[in-house]
Amino acid sequence: MRKFLTPRIVTWLHRANPVAKLTLVLVAFFITLFSHSLDFVFYQAIIYILLLFVLSGHAPWKVLLIILPFLLVFISSSSTMILFGKGDHLWWEWGLIRISEESFYRGIHIGFKSVSFAAEGLLFVLTTPSVALFYALMQKGKLPPKYAYSFMASIRLLPMVWEEYEIRRNALRIRGVRASRGIRSWYTQIKLYAVPLLSQSIRRAHRVAVAMETKAFDGKRPRTYYYPSTFSRYDLLVIIILSGAVGIAYIAALEYPLFGIFDVRYR
Amino acid sequence: MQEQVIQKKGRGLKLSDLLVTILISIVLGVVYHFWGSVYNLFSPLFPQADEIVYGMWFLAPTLVFLLIRKPGVALIAEIAAAHVAILFGSEWGIQLVMYGVLQGLGAELVFAAFRYRKFSGAVAALAGIGAAVGSLIPDIYYGYVADYETWLLIAKYAMRALSSAVIAGYLAFALAKAVEATGVTNLLRPVADKDYAALND
Repeated sequence: MRKFLTPRIVTWLHRANPVAKLTLVLVAFFITLFSHSLDFVFYQAIIYILLLFVLSGHAPWKVLLIILPFLLVFISSSSTMILFGKGDHLWWEWGLIRISEESFYRGIHIGFKSVSFAAEGLLFVLTTPSVALFYALMQKGKLPPKYAYSFMASIRLLPMVWEEYEIRRNALRIRGVRASRGIRSWYTQIKLYAVPLLSQSIRRAHRVAVAMETKAFDGKRPRTYYYPSTFSRYDLLVIIILSGAVGIAYIAALEYPLFGIFDVRYR
Repeated sequence: MQEQVIQKKGRGLKLSDLLVTILISIVLGVVYHFWGSVYNLFSPLFPQADEIVYGMWFLAPTLVFLLIRKPGVALIAEIAAAHVAILFGSEWGIQLVMYGVLQGLGAELVFAAFRYRKFSGAVAALAGIGAAVGSLIPDIYYGYVADYETWLLIAKYAMRALSSAVIAGYLAFALAKAVEATGVTNLLRPVADKDYAALND
C-alpha cells in the first residue's frame, strides 16, 4: 500500500507548505459546501478531478483507480434525496418513494458535492504526509506541540493496539471462549475485547506520555524542530492554481450551464 | 505541600491527558471506519434503517469524557476519531472532519452544561443526543435534509437521537464503568480535594 501510494513525480502541490494547502483546501471545501447552484458544483467536481490527475503525481491509471469509489460516493449520497426529497413536478411515485424533478436535481447536486469534497480531500491527502502536516501546524499554525506530538505518537501506537487485539483474540480462543448468538452475546463480546484493549491503551498511552513529558515534548519551553517547515513560492503557485480552478468552474457554470439550475433548495 | 496542590490544579490538559484521549479516539476512529459496513448492512431493511446504528459514530466523545472527566476532551476525541478517515485516505475524509468538529462540540456543550461534574448514563445519553444535533447542522447545508419529505425527516432524526442515546450514552457508560473497575482511570482523572485530605491523615 505504501509503495502503491508513493507518487511517481513530485508536483508543486507536494512542495507547498501543508498549512497553506490545508487552508486552501478548507476554503475550497466551504465554497463547495455553500454553493447551491447545480452547474457550479458540477464544474467544481470536474475541475478538482482534473487537478487530481495533474497534481497528485500519480500515473493516470492509478488516479483512475483511486477515483473509482467516487461513483459509490455519488450514488450513496444522492439516492435518498432523489427518492424521498420534496418537489412539485412529480416524475414517478411508488409507495413511499416519490421522485420529482426537484428532488432528482437536488439529489445529483448532493452527489456532485460529495464528489467535489472527495477530490478536494484527496488533493490534500495524496500530497501530504501526516508528519509533515503536524510539523507545519506546530511551526506555522501555532498548534501547541503537545497536541501535535500526541497525534503523531498515537498514530504510531495504533499498530500496538492491533497487536494487543490479536493477542486477546488468541488468548480467548485458546481458553475455548466461544461466541454465542444474539444481542446479549454481542454485548459480552464487546466487553471481552473492549475493556482489556481500552485499559491497556490507557496504560500504554499514559506511560508514553510520562516519558514524553520528561523529554519536554509538552512544549512548555521553546523548542527546535528536526524538520523545519517553511513557506515558499510553491505556496503562491498553489494559491493561484486553486483559485483559478474555482474561477474557471464559476465562469463555466455561467457561460455553459448544463442544467440551468441556480438554487436546488426547495423554494 | 500546598505549593504542589496549586501546581497540580493548573488548568488545561496535560500531554498525558491528550495522548490518552487521542489514542483511544484513534482506536475508535478505526472502529468508526469499519462501522460503515455495519451501517450499509442495515440500509436495505427500510428507508433510513441505517440510522439505528448511527450512534456508534458519537461514541468517542462520551466514552473518552466518562473515562478522563476533563473539560475539552470530548471535542478533541471526536476530531481525533474523525481524522482517522483522512489518515486512511477515505473519500469522505474532509466531510467527516467537519461532522466530527460539530458532533464533538455538541457533546462537549452538554457536558459543559452540567459543569463537567455529572458522569451518569443519562448525561452521557444527552451528550450523545447533543452530538446528533451537531451532526444535523452539516446535514442541512450539505445534505439539504430540510428538503426531505417531512415524515422521513422526523423518522430519520428520531432514530438517530435514540441510537445516540443508547450507543453513545448508555453503552459508553457501561463500558466506562467496566474500564473503571480495572483501576486505570485513576491515572488520569482530576484529583479531588478529598484525595489531598487523605494525604494529610
